[in-house]
Amino acid sequence: MNMNSDENIVMLNPQRKLIRDAQKTKGRIPVKCRQRNRFIPCFLAGVVVLSVLSLFYLEIDWGKMVSRVPDIGEVFWQLAHLDFANMDLILSSLVETISIAVLSLLYSLLLGIIFGMLAARNIFRIPLLSVLTQSFFTFLRAVPTPVWVLLMLVCLGMGPEAGVAGLCVHTTAFFTKSFAQSFESIPDETIEALEVTGAGRLSIFFNAVLPAALSQIVAWAGMRLETNFSECAILGMVGAGGIGYVISNSLQGYDYGTAGTAILLVFLVAYCIERLFVRIKKRF
Amino acid sequence: MTKKIPLIAHDLKKLYTGFLIAAVVLFAVTSILTEFNIFTLISNGDAFWSFLTEDFLPPALPKASRIPGVLSSVVVTLALAMSATTVAAILAFFVSLFGSEKVSPFPQFAKVVRGFATFLRNIPALVWAFILFSSLGIGTGVGFVALCITSFAFMVRAFVETMEDVSQDCVESLQAVGATFPQRVAQAILPSCLSGFLSWFLYCVEVNIRASTIVGMVGGGGVGLTLFSYIKSFQYDVALSIILLVAVMVIVVDQITARLRKEILK
Amino acid sequence: MKPILKFEQVSKNYPNGVHALKGVSFEVQEGEFISIIGPSGSGKSTLLRAINRLIPISGGTVWLDGQPVSAQRGRKLRELRCKAGMIFQNYNLVYSLSVLQNVLHGRLGYMRGVKGVFGMYSEEDKQEALDLLEELGLSQFAYNRASDLSGGQKQRVGIARAIMQKPRLLLCDEPIASLDPSSAKTIMDLLHSMTQKRNIACIVNLHQLDVAVRYSTRIIGLSKGEIVFDGAPEDLDDSAIERIYGTSRENLMMGGNADDKEDTAHCA
Repeated sequence: MNMNSDENIVMLNPQRKLIRDAQKTKGRIPVKCRQRNRFIPCFLAGVVVLSVLSLFYLEIDWGKMVSRVPDIGEVFWQLAHLDFANMDLILSSLVETISIAVLSLLYSLLLGIIFGMLAARNIFRIPLLSVLTQSFFTFLRAVPTPVWVLLMLVCLGMGPEAGVAGLCVHTTAFFTKSFAQSFESIPDETIEALEVTGAGRLSIFFNAVLPAALSQIVAWAGMRLETNFSECAILGMVGAGGIGYVISNSLQGYDYGTAGTAILLVFLVAYCIERLFVRIKKRF
Repeated sequence: MTKKIPLIAHDLKKLYTGFLIAAVVLFAVTSILTEFNIFTLISNGDAFWSFLTEDFLPPALPKASRIPGVLSSVVVTLALAMSATTVAAILAFFVSLFGSEKVSPFPQFAKVVRGFATFLRNIPALVWAFILFSSLGIGTGVGFVALCITSFAFMVRAFVETMEDVSQDCVESLQAVGATFPQRVAQAILPSCLSGFLSWFLYCVEVNIRASTIVGMVGGGGVGLTLFSYIKSFQYDVALSIILLVAVMVIVVDQITARLRKEILK
Repeated sequence: MKPILKFEQVSKNYPNGVHALKGVSFEVQEGEFISIIGPSGSGKSTLLRAINRLIPISGGTVWLDGQPVSAQRGRKLRELRCKAGMIFQNYNLVYSLSVLQNVLHGRLGYMRGVKGVFGMYSEEDKQEALDLLEELGLSQFAYNRASDLSGGQKQRVGIARAIMQKPRLLLCDEPIASLDPSSAKTIMDLLHSMTQKRNIACIVNLHQLDVAVRYSTRIIGLSKGEIVFDGAPEDLDDSAIERIYGTSRENLMMGGNADDKEDTAHCA
């Protein structure tokens, strides 16, 4: 706070004499580092300016929002009155949601390993193949999951198939990128050493690369399960089945008790998955 | 090459075998539960492909008169993600100071703070959006608040972890020096954790760009709403070009944040 | 002479059921250089942190400069903490700040409100910090990031920060445990000379028996939260060592010849 750039230039020479000189001219001793990251203050300023501009651009009617804040309390109060009357519907749709999440995860794991193998630069050493695979999956990954599910709904009709297929698109894309990264982090020497023995590309992959990357694959999968479940829980809201449909339907039908129960269950499952993942991560 | 030398330790191998068995069992159970059969999907592939090639391809531009509207909806999505993340980050910073036993001046409440954040975080943003829609009505403002809630909760967790990793030691030493809590925050936590915080902030911007598209689809405004309306009116070829637009938007933002992150962590 | 520090039946029970300190009592006079030795988990660290209330104690009283530490809160506690400088095994510096800023952190306890928050130190403090860095041979690093320094240099910054507090008492929590032998010697020599020169009492947690014998005027041996030895280094015989570590001298890794009385006398 108490130094400017001139003082800083003087301070580039750390010798005491110069420090004393600076004192004479400015009457102040600087305290900060010579090589600071000057980018961070600029970045912070940029973020603040952009955010303020964004807020103005959005033209949110804050007055109206604030005036309705008491309604939030009302809604939460009603949500808290859990209603267990539709428990079988809630449970069956929850099971369906979890199944879709797990199934899409498993399919994507397989696909991810295969495509990750193609995308990694050090397995087949065909640069064009890697680049093509990677850019294709970058595109798939850039489109949010619910959009894929919506498209699959259009193509495949209502039902869990659309959910599984839609989730698979995004999850596979995610796995391809992260697995390829893991494969590429295997040192080249390891692969070369096996190449010298005359092993084929595929056998190198399955005997050396895959086992070495296995712990990372498990970690990625655990992380993705969390995301997949919450993605899956919201899919119902854009038209697919599952617990999301129950939540949005009962909220729109003012059946807050059922919605509250369903939301609570979603929270509990998500929380359990998170805890489980933390446990698994600790084992590695 | 006669004898196979194990590449991993024995107990680790057992662990992996366990995972494999669990995966197979889960696969069987969930396949039955959802009646999902990959082979029927493939055998019905023709219909799928014809649908794809006839209805989606080639991507078509929306009517010329609506193009400015589409572009401005992209800006709305970007603005929503940006402002919501910043507001959430500022709130999360102050709350996370109280979320770690090692740093907070009231360690007994740290668990409460973290529990609250866990609760907010484990309910998806879209569920928050729906809850808020039913009390505040549909609009961009609600999308903003819904995004704020989840990214706030996420950042509280990330910030607390960063703090415990990075600044626990120097907070202790400043405590020993007799510094006050605000002094500890400004002189130890901020300088040592700022780059970590900003890196998480950028990650949240990336996530929120996608999330704000989705929240838009159910009524939060922005490009998500535009896309949803085209899909609902069966204009799939136009929808495809908007999907491409979303993809470009996300990829560009990802590239920018990656560059910024590199600069920050330098 | 009034003791600078007094432990009266101090005990500490952790919530997980560990009794880290069991009725510990001792006094520290001005100018003493005390080493606390004992196996890992004997309560050395807890004892040190009980002095400036980084860890609140569960029973007894700690008197620092005539005031009870455990009764203090807020500003009074911070004022007391100013009187006890602390040095850590892992240096505990803010690595993204300059060396000078880290040294000046020692003044935070004396500063109020906004000035401390924004690090607006007075010119006298800055000058003093620079002088101190020169005394420690670090003046050319004053404007480097603290992360650029080597371990020994970081610990010297830690010493400078503690001395900046103008403490009556210096608490050192295994100051040389993460250092190579040569840096460790530099640090111990510096600790010894700086505290003697300024008449600061010094309490050092140590794992190295030979270092303890060589530098200290008094050794306190802790075992399972109790003081089992308290006396001059000369009196630390084999039976005392066995009481502290629960094993005979032959089973301990000894860095030097502890019987080298001449050397000890020379250094003390």
